[in-house]
Amino acid sequence: MNAASPTVGLPRSGALPSYDEVVAQQLDAVYRYLVYLTGDRSAAEDLTAETFEKAFRSWRRFDPRRAAPRTWLCTIARSVAVDWFRSETRRRRREEQYAREQPLEQFGDDLPGPVEQALRELSPGEREVIALRVLLELDGPSAARVLGISATACSTRLSRALKRLEEMTDDVDG
Amino acid sequence: MSTVDLLRAHAPAAPERLQHRVLTMRPVGRQRPRVRPVLVLAGAVTLAMGAALVHGLTTSSQQTPHSFSSDAASSTVARAAKAPALESPATHAAGVAPAQNRLQHEDASIRVRVRDVGGATNAATKIAAHFGGYAQSVRYRTGISYLELRVPTARVKQALAQLADLGVLASQQISIEDLTNTLERQSAQIAQLRRRIAALNVALRDSALPEAQRVLLQIKLAESKRALAQRLHGRKGTLTAGATARISLVLTTQKQAAAATHRGRVGRMLHSAVGFLALEGIVLLFALIVASPFALALALLWLWRRRAVDRLLME
Repeated sequence: MNAASPTVGLPRSGALPSYDEVVAQQLDAVYRYLVYLTGDRSAAEDLTAETFEKAFRSWRRFDPRRAAPRTWLCTIARSVAVDWFRSETRRRRREEQYAREQPLEQFGDDLPGPVEQALRELSPGEREVIALRVLLELDGPSAARVLGISATACSTRLSRALKRLEEMTDDVDG
Repeated sequence: MSTVDLLRAHAPAAPERLQHRVLTMRPVGRQRPRVRPVLVLAGAVTLAMGAALVHGLTTSSQQTPHSFSSDAASSTVARAAKAPALESPATHAAGVAPAQNRLQHEDASIRVRVRDVGGATNAATKIAAHFGGYAQSVRYRTGISYLELRVPTARVKQALAQLADLGVLASQQISIEDLTNTLERQSAQIAQLRRRIAALNVALRDSALPEAQRVLLQIKLAESKRALAQRLHGRKGTLTAGATARISLVLTTQKQAAAATHRGRVGRMLHSAVGFLALEGIVLLFALIVASPFALALALLWLWRRRAVDRLLME
């Protein structure tokens, strides 16, 4: 979970990366984040595209001194995902019964079944913090910024989510 | 392998089609430099200060055409030596001297530093009486005395000169208001009303006048007489104002007068600029007070939305 990891994005030096560089470095990260957040690969794919579309439109306003590209993109992705969650909730209420088939492999490529199952049991908020801190390797303040909470609250949320995940994995294994 | 390592090792990768889809999009235009709030704030402060300075510069150079004022220099100036530094009121008054053949009201305010305020107060009332005037009001307390004197306009210069000689002149202001037009207007109205009254009297003498019309004319006559009385009273007041000048005299000890410090052009400019800045501050404070309920409502809305998102994601 090192913030200086080259995949996290560029340092806050003020140098503006090219758009292609940002896409090459951050596409996977944004996609992973949205997969974990939504629990739906197909939706995550659409939302990733929508995130980058929004990023294109506000590209002129992006200030690399204020946030790393990954943090900035995750903030946009979260806003896009929240809208998606709201529409999903409305859709579920309308249809009364949500009996959508969940594909077996959702959160990772060749991820063991018990872990996949445990991740599915977590709430989107718990998966979100795991995605930001574990998969995307954002540092505490950056992840907290994306989530709109304090760094302490983010740390607490992560430890609880990981603990739950491990407990559920053990239960499934046991 | 720990759960964390497992998650990292099997993290999902974006499909090729998504990469292609995203790469076909390109940002439009060049990066626009971001305007920093600190710079905006600095600009606003500079603008406010600049406006205050400009206001100070413009107001410090303004002077009322019909008024003249001056302040005394240091308190140590000796009476004998003060003449070159501060001219006598009579000399100053010459600059705004009443025009011949015009009715003008003169109003003077002078502040004089004296050793003995009580004695100087008595002397001032005597000076007013000597020139045919009188003291309209005298307020005296330890160290300071306020006098309202009335002096015939024709002798006001001499009276001011003698009053200034009571001590060291600290400040003075002389203004002249022309009353000729007012007097002419009042005289014209009086003449018109007299003509009207005479005409009404003639009409009322006619014995063939119907009773109803007679009553109407009598009412008009009464109104005209009342208006004439008012105009005559007004003109008398105007003539009195033109005949007598008002002198507001403040007699202080040296200690009290020290408060009345000299303020030059730069001082006036700074004083005016500071006043303008204070006004800007009041306007800003008022705007903040007006905007604060809206800001509070927005903050509450933002908080509510954030909690709603948290609930949505933590279910």
